[in-house]
Amino acid sequence: MDSLLYPLAGLFLPLFPLSMLFNTLFARTRQYLVRTLLLLVWPQLGLALLSLLTAPVDIQWLSALALFTSALYAYRAIAARELNQWSGYLSTSLWALLWLFVIHTGKPTPTLHLHALGFSLPLVLLTILGRNVEKQFGAVYTDLYGGLAQSMPRLSGALILTVLAVIATPLFPAFFSMTQLVFAELSVSLSSALLLLIIWLFWSWSGIRLLQGLVIGSAAGVTLSRDIRDISVPVAWGYALLLITLSTGSLLIMEIAQ
Amino acid sequence: MSLSLGQKLRLRAMVYVAGEAIPNFWPMRSFIHHNPLHGLEHLTFTEAVRKAQPLFHAQVYLSRKQHQAYLSRNLVDMDFLEHAVADFVAQQPLLPDIDLQAWLMSLLKSEEHNVVADTTLSNAADVQAVLAGKPLDPKTPEALKTIIVEQLRNDLLNNCPLYEAIDALYGTEIGDELDQLVIKSSLDFFDEGQSVWSMPGREKGFFPAWCAVAQRNGRLFLRGLDIDQVIQQGDTPEDVIAYVMDKFGVPEQHWVCYFTCELARLHGWTGFIKWRSGASHYHWRKQFPGDLVDLLAIRLILALALVEERGRWKKVSANFASIQALIDASPEETYFQLQLHGRKVLPEFAFSVEKLLATGRTKAINKAFGEYAQQVRLHEARQQAANLVQLAGNVSALSALRALPDEALGQLIQSLQAFEQEEGHIWLRAMESQAMKRLLAGVTLEQPAPREKRPFVQALFCIDTRSERIRRRLESIGDYQTFGIAGFFGVPLSFMELGKGNESHLCPVLLTPKNLVVEMAVSDDQDVAALTVLEKALHELKESILTPFVTVEAVGLLFGFDMVGKTLFPEHYNRWRNRLHQDKPQTFLIMDKLSSEQADSIVRAVQRAVIEKALELEFELPAERITDSMVRELREAALGHQPDIPVLAKEIGLSATGQQDFIQKLRTIYRINAAKAQLQREQLGRIGFSIDEQVTFVSQALQSIGLTREFSRFIMLVGHGSTSENNPYESALDCGACGGQHGIVNARVLAQMANKPEVRRRLRQQGIDIPDDAWFFPALHNTTTDEIRLYDVERMPSTHAMYIDRLRNGLLSAARLCARERIATLEPRHIINRPHENPAAAQRLARKFAQDWSQVRPEWGLAGNAYFIIGRRPLTQQLSLEGRAFLHSYDYRVDRKLRLLENILTGPLVVGQWINMEHYFSTVDNERFGSGSKVYHNVAGRFGVMTGNLSDLRTGLPAQTVLDNGQPYHQPLRLITVIEAPLQSARRAVESVAAAKKLVVNEWIRLIVIDPEQSSVSLYDKGQWQDHVYSLQYESQEATANL
Repeated sequence: MDSLLYPLAGLFLPLFPLSMLFNTLFARTRQYLVRTLLLLVWPQLGLALLSLLTAPVDIQWLSALALFTSALYAYRAIAARELNQWSGYLSTSLWALLWLFVIHTGKPTPTLHLHALGFSLPLVLLTILGRNVEKQFGAVYTDLYGGLAQSMPRLSGALILTVLAVIATPLFPAFFSMTQLVFAELSVSLSSALLLLIIWLFWSWSGIRLLQGLVIGSAAGVTLSRDIRDISVPVAWGYALLLITLSTGSLLIMEIAQ
Repeated sequence: MSLSLGQKLRLRAMVYVAGEAIPNFWPMRSFIHHNPLHGLEHLTFTEAVRKAQPLFHAQVYLSRKQHQAYLSRNLVDMDFLEHAVADFVAQQPLLPDIDLQAWLMSLLKSEEHNVVADTTLSNAADVQAVLAGKPLDPKTPEALKTIIVEQLRNDLLNNCPLYEAIDALYGTEIGDELDQLVIKSSLDFFDEGQSVWSMPGREKGFFPAWCAVAQRNGRLFLRGLDIDQVIQQGDTPEDVIAYVMDKFGVPEQHWVCYFTCELARLHGWTGFIKWRSGASHYHWRKQFPGDLVDLLAIRLILALALVEERGRWKKVSANFASIQALIDASPEETYFQLQLHGRKVLPEFAFSVEKLLATGRTKAINKAFGEYAQQVRLHEARQQAANLVQLAGNVSALSALRALPDEALGQLIQSLQAFEQEEGHIWLRAMESQAMKRLLAGVTLEQPAPREKRPFVQALFCIDTRSERIRRRLESIGDYQTFGIAGFFGVPLSFMELGKGNESHLCPVLLTPKNLVVEMAVSDDQDVAALTVLEKALHELKESILTPFVTVEAVGLLFGFDMVGKTLFPEHYNRWRNRLHQDKPQTFLIMDKLSSEQADSIVRAVQRAVIEKALELEFELPAERITDSMVRELREAALGHQPDIPVLAKEIGLSATGQQDFIQKLRTIYRINAAKAQLQREQLGRIGFSIDEQVTFVSQALQSIGLTREFSRFIMLVGHGSTSENNPYESALDCGACGGQHGIVNARVLAQMANKPEVRRRLRQQGIDIPDDAWFFPALHNTTTDEIRLYDVERMPSTHAMYIDRLRNGLLSAARLCARERIATLEPRHIINRPHENPAAAQRLARKFAQDWSQVRPEWGLAGNAYFIIGRRPLTQQLSLEGRAFLHSYDYRVDRKLRLLENILTGPLVVGQWINMEHYFSTVDNERFGSGSKVYHNVAGRFGVMTGNLSDLRTGLPAQTVLDNGQPYHQPLRLITVIEAPLQSARRAVESVAAAKKLVVNEWIRLIVIDPEQSSVSLYDKGQWQDHVYSLQYESQEATANL
């Protein structure tokens, strides 16, 4: 039974090369609701499968494979210019790290489900925001239609904060998860901890490149040729509230976990 | 590659010609307003902006939306707009059931965006098919391929720099990296003392110094840039340029165009280097020479190195021939590459195109091309159809649009496109027309009745637009008569300020002053105030490379106090701080020519002082042992008039050899020699003005403004300047006619000249009878606070002193009223929220602006300038010109030979046009022609500003000077120049001044002549004088006393 569960879990908590399936599926899915669902449910399924294991997870090469997968997709995200592709890579890179938590604890804990949710929720928000841009321009692709900061300032603000949440900047859930993981790895292997930090750096690099290509720059050409509709003020506040809730929630969970 | 001298000179000439289109950029210390398109002034305004648009990648007119905003504020002449549209329509072919006039008027008034979309693959038939709801006629991939090959050639091989083509094809960003490397190199070389650690070998020149550093530059080596290999191709910059152009495969006949594109990429740096290389008197240029050829050579070396580096990594074509071959061999792939990296791809296909190109499969690419090209056609046709439907809906002509056959629809689109290209100029002319109508509705030719008594004060102000308000206020509160004259009062001079060793030119940049004025202290030397010493010490510490490591705790606290004070309590803190400062002592100006005896005497005195110092340093002789005879014999010996120095030899027992050694030292080290003495005499000869010169300057100044009789008791010469904190653009707010500095020195000089009895005696012989009780005195108008401060009051005769209080009260009242008027434009909310506040409060607020270091807009400066009025004051005295007019007093009745008018057209008008065009272009495209937001500015090399830490030098005006909340505060109009004179006289004067004639004929300014004798108005428009366009009796409902 366990020998069947491991590959299945490797599919849902994506490990290379099984990770390709999720990325293909995610890239081919045009419906944003389905994408949202995928982002929310996929890692939870993986964790659920792992909780069915009869013996605790204690395979060291899995740890190396998880780190490799995460690093690979973080690196690939740097060159990604399309938002959905970037989201797919980032989600793979983030979720692969859930294996490290499992290896530390032996089995998925309820907190780990929250960690997975903390990784997924900003990605879900990003998908919804991306849909707004897609409706205006046809795609969310960098360096194509000038800086959104000028043409859609409110959406740009929300986009920046959401990308920051995805790439685990302080006070967002992924930051606390990563901090916990780095310290845990530090006690086991210095090289793993260092690799984790490098992965983190790749996320930031890719996130900044994405934002630079989407948000920064002049939108003069765009605003001259078409009407651009930004998100409304209440919707912008809604995004802000969601992000604040995420941040506060993660702080509370960290407090409870300790 | 080594070129012959002839080839080198030819190449230099090409670079010179290529740089012509780029305007000079002067150092920020003396900000000079200039026309960003000065190099294109030989063309008409419309031709120049058409050429400048692609060259500078800039907007040259406001957007339609901004023009519509002006229309809603009644600042656009609707009649003119309709006539202009009708003129345009008359040139277009007739279209069935299409009222083109109505379409175009609707386009102007209702549409925000361009109606004609950019099309590459679609045509009118496609648009018609979309309008009819039919599918597009199929086009074969071969037909589409033919179209794209032509487009690819236009886009990639049309004289753009090679790396721009490569960037567009491969997204390599070579251009950006190249610009950054060139900026860093330029910053290193041209630094004027900002860096503590300067670039080595700068005295050798820009190119050699850069080569020496670049060959050892580890960062360039690590980046994989093979600089050495390129540098070794020639010894001179010309050799290297020729080598690189050859490598790039640019035919020689295209070199000039290519160079222009290269130089225009960083037009700020290019403009600065261009100016600097021509400024022979400029200290830094003399020390560290560099020119455009050096700059271009460095650019091209780096460009070649970058292109080759990218070529190694990405297999990128390294010359134009390869790109041509690529287009011919695989146009579909090249098209996709240009679509993706040139940011032209349809967004919904971007990801697929990226993936497709990544596969590199030619078959798949060729197959996808057909489908993609059809999608592009469809997209373009749909967008065009939607725009047309919207416009047709506005004029209820939807059915007419749908009924148009292919050809007529194509014609309609062509007409709309042609109109949209001309539209900016039509709007501009309509705004100018409205501005002219409003001005002419308010002017009056009636001269006031003769005065019974002379005015209390006659005040001469600068022609600067900011003087208009204060003049109007002053005239309104009492018996003041005001005049406008160029702020240097017609006296070009070089000034050596007290305590400074360098000269500054106080005159327009068009002039080079011959005379030097030296400032001397009246009182003895004072001890330097403790705070001044402390400030100097802190400043030096701040600039040291070690300071952050060793003194940050101690010094940081002091800076912290300063920061808190300046930020939270700017007014009180600065007042307190100024009290601690040492006041500048009372001074006088040496402005009379020295006689040759006086000059000799000064040279001798200097030599004596130097010899005494030499004796003290060389032999430690105390002052009491140094006798006059000893000094005299030493001087004579050093000048070669006697062989030995017996008195000194006897006094200290000096041997014959020792005597000769000391004499030699005096000649070489202490520079007591005949050549130096001669040089000193020549320099002294520059000091001051001869009586003849003084008479000429005073006479010219008074005649040019028509003040030759009825002199008042007080004649106030008001220079102007500004006060602001933390503002690199401070000199832009000072007097442009005084080289971007305060105008008080010129005012003091002219006042001293005019008060001299000998000058007045000679003036009287010329018919200018200045009464004995008339007293000229200088004053400074602070344009930030509106205060007028009197200078040299202590020189005033006691008979006048009793009136000083009255004068001061008058000036204070005018200043406050002026401040209230101005503050309303700077802080409208302040006025709206506190309507009860009096002018004094407004002036307090203005003072706060001047002292607040966080204030990005201490005043509006010359923003709003629109008119240049050359005439008598009564012409516009009844009119509030809202600080928008340069007012130059001129009375044609005293200018029979037209010399005065010619002088005004030669100098002040040209400078006014520079100012006007600087404002125009900084407003229409603040990012390219202006300097963007001040908030991000950093001072670069002590001569310019950059945005962030690395950018082109920002040349124009900052956003805070011309924009208000991102929208124009300055209404961009060409300078509307009004001359009050008989038409024939004005025409003759314009014809005889080449610079002015060029501006008028090429329509860089709009010229109106008001003929007071015929009571007529003539406008120069479209190459001829038109007499019936406007009249003084223009009946306008909006005609009010205000503009």
